[in-house]
Amino acid sequence: MEIGFSPEERRFREECRDWLAANVPGERRPLHAVDALEFDKAWQRKLFDAGWAGINWPTEYGGRGLPIAQQVIWLEEYARAGAPWIGANFVGINHGGPTLIANATAEQKAFHLPRILRAESIWCQGFSEPGAGSDLAGIRTRGRVEGERLIVNGSKIWTGFAMVADYQELLLRTGESSSRHSGMSWVICDMRAPGIEVRPIRNISGDIEFNQVFYDDVSMPLDNVVGGLGNGWRVAMSTLGFERGTGFIADQVKQSQDVEELIALATRNGRIREAAIADRLGQLRAEVAALRAMTYRNISEVERRGQPGPEASMIRLVGAELGQRIERLSVELVGEEMLDFTYGDHGWVQEYLRGYAATIAGGSAQIQRDIIGERILGLPRSR
Amino acid sequence: MNLTPSDDQEQLRAATERWLEDNLPIGRPRGKDASAWAQLEDMGWLTVTRDGLDHGTEALLFAELGRFLAPVAMISTAVARRWTSLDGKVALAVGSRLLDPEDASGALGLFERAVGHHVIGPIEARPGLDQLTPIADRGDTRPQPVEGKDAALHLRLLAAAFAVGCAEAAAIMATDYAKLREQFGRPIGAFQAIKHMCVDMAVRAAVARSQLLFAACALDGGEPDRAFHVAAAKRLADDAALMNGGAAIQVHGGIGMTDEAHPHLTLKRAHLLRFVAPVETGELLV
Repeated sequence: MEIGFSPEERRFREECRDWLAANVPGERRPLHAVDALEFDKAWQRKLFDAGWAGINWPTEYGGRGLPIAQQVIWLEEYARAGAPWIGANFVGINHGGPTLIANATAEQKAFHLPRILRAESIWCQGFSEPGAGSDLAGIRTRGRVEGERLIVNGSKIWTGFAMVADYQELLLRTGESSSRHSGMSWVICDMRAPGIEVRPIRNISGDIEFNQVFYDDVSMPLDNVVGGLGNGWRVAMSTLGFERGTGFIADQVKQSQDVEELIALATRNGRIREAAIADRLGQLRAEVAALRAMTYRNISEVERRGQPGPEASMIRLVGAELGQRIERLSVELVGEEMLDFTYGDHGWVQEYLRGYAATIAGGSAQIQRDIIGERILGLPRSR
Repeated sequence: MNLTPSDDQEQLRAATERWLEDNLPIGRPRGKDASAWAQLEDMGWLTVTRDGLDHGTEALLFAELGRFLAPVAMISTAVARRWTSLDGKVALAVGSRLLDPEDASGALGLFERAVGHHVIGPIEARPGLDQLTPIADRGDTRPQPVEGKDAALHLRLLAAAFAVGCAEAAAIMATDYAKLREQFGRPIGAFQAIKHMCVDMAVRAAVARSQLLFAACALDGGEPDRAFHVAAAKRLADDAALMNGGAAIQVHGGIGMTDEAHPHLTLKRAHLLRFVAPVETGELLV
């Protein structure tokens, strides 16, 4: 075991650092999805042109296909350089694209993958519904097969970037409503199709990013089904295998930078002399270090055995809750000025409020604990 | 960068675990004579780093030892082997007390942030909070400082490894019990209130183990921030051990309150380990 990097990896780190130093945009990424769209597209296009797009995608689909150690280095340097969140491109790059790579036909891949990498098409996710959050298998949005078409009715919610998206990875019920996991299909939905209505929803930090989407007899080609009719659950779950544990590295580096900034802030305003504050800062610094160690362990496990170790599913839970503790302390250090926050402001308070999503989105902390308890610890099922 | 144990390291770890299962299971009365200690000495764990192996390997093995609540004098003795010429069993000095002093010829511990050691004569030990660790008063012998700038980090690392093992022992006990014990017609581990406690115990232990291995590698590599990483490892391991010890009692319910059951042994060991090379907040902020 060792924590150092090879000379080749260190050279690669220099390469990343140099490019990012010269190219990271100076202006802030706008908060609202609509305002940020052009910014997100331009930044993704710049990454693509310089060969940094899809760093974990196979090269045959236009990605960089970097070995996992170099992905880690790129993501660490990306966050260290203060490079912007990929925003509207997030679902296409990190979720829709990888799902297509694992499950789609050659035609589907040839059409969609280059467009995703070049930010020519923006994707959104359509999984959660008003009546199906943690209980994802309870979705009721239905696709009725009519000849070569699929007719869709129902509603999805918490769909980030739906108002600017070109395509959606849409999880539908195409079988019996009692069928749970077996009657679902994963479909590429054209967001410009007639019968789709998108209603933006403002979140608690004031950002307008997620939406509710309504489908009223929306017709789409049956050919848009990925992985075969009725295989939607398997297709949706397959993307988790592609992820392999590098997804949270940039977030972790950001957390570590946040803690260092908070130490500097508490030093400037004198609060670090309060034993309770100093202790929490020290504790957070230790936890951020441990989370990096946990990620490194997971990555070396992937390199060695080809699949993540059991800790992989813990990393997300630990990171989400640690992030919230950092954000909570940040607003305590901001102090009374926090009261001046209004929608549209950037900064600690905005990040603190937005951070409440970390233990809800993409599987609540409670569901994560069920999964860890049942799949890793082997405890009996709760449901 | 690689934090996965090599095949050799994994074999050593597994062999250690097997030996401990056969010879030092938690709950079996432990031999108090010198022959019991000699057996531990013969297994080679106390001379891992003196004999040129790395702290990474040593941390893996000491976490196993910690999981079986092995004698804490193994910590002080391993540090003594690496940095001093003391022979035989070396008791662990903590403040004005000696831990595991029976049949020891010397003592070693942290004195004002530096490792020191001194010779001790035959001592009558008394039982203490941790029923597996006899204690005695240290007296007023002046310790002799140990040369070697990383000796204190070594001591703290091994104590952290013991605490990681202790946290894991508590987590395993609770999870195993939650699979067996039935109430309302189902194993209590099916209830989220219990399941999530077990998960939190496993997560705390995994977080602490990760930092332990990172810290051991930082020490091996002579990294400039190794003192921080070792301090972080000790802090997280101490907290994991104490919280898991308490949670293990809670998951066991009434049985957990009995002397006969094992969860309280992890709680008491966790309290004891907090006094070994304790971490001050300032050390996490440098």
